[in-house]
Amino acid sequence: MGLIQRAIEEAGIPTLSISLNRTITEKVKPPRAVLVGYPLGHPMGRPFDKNTQTALLKESLTLLGDIRVPGTLVDVSDRYRF
Amino acid sequence: MSLKTEKDKLIATFFEKHPALVDKWAKSAPIIINTTVPWSPVAGNPAEGPVALVTTAGVHLKSQTPFDMVDSEGDSSFRVIPSSSSAKDLTITHNYYNHGDADADVNVVFPIERLNELCGEGTVGHVAPRHFSFMGHIEGGHLAKLLEQTAPTVAAELKKDGVRAVFLTPA
Repeated sequence: MGLIQRAIEEAGIPTLSISLNRTITEKVKPPRAVLVGYPLGHPMGRPFDKNTQTALLKESLTLLGDIRVPGTLVDVSDRYRF
Repeated sequence: MSLKTEKDKLIATFFEKHPALVDKWAKSAPIIINTTVPWSPVAGNPAEGPVALVTTAGVHLKSQTPFDMVDSEGDSSFRVIPSSSSAKDLTITHNYYNHGDADADVNVVFPIERLNELCGEGTVGHVAPRHFSFMGHIEGGHLAKLLEQTAPTVAAELKKDGVRAVFLTPA
């Protein structure tokens, strides 16, 4: 996914992705990513947990505007756990 | 169910239950290691949009051709998902992760309803007309095709739609 993200960013559109694994993200180096503490298959958390999904999406969009350093990975895994 | 499908789904369930093994795999896996980072500065508030979603979770409209689960190198094609689609129009074809929870609530991997709600309440200004979906298990020749063709094509389509922020979700 990080490779697709990089292609979109290279085309001139700011991007931010959810990361489920720090090692993969540090290798691929997307411009902006948010590391959550969720298992594979659950980038936005548990099914029907609308409040958490909304909070994570809102926080991600805020970070998309706030991050100023290319390659920043923000670790929110202590707050977004399964 | 074919033997390959059974094996792929078994591995997917195993990795979901053992995140430490995902990390062990990631450390030695043939993942592309980049040394530079592309960067497009944000102008204004990105939530004003248009905001588009891109996922590699294998989401697609039920009416669309499913992703290829037979080719062991995956499928580098993409599906266009109109942002007006409802969750019940969507399904997932992807044997390389356990999408039981995402089948029950697609927002687990593709937060289309959450984004529309944020737009409805005014937190997000505009949702893009189209979202885009891939199937994230891509290797070998398909990886080259992704990098040279399909990913740049999606980027160009997002530009055509005037998209100003993209939120991406893996599987």
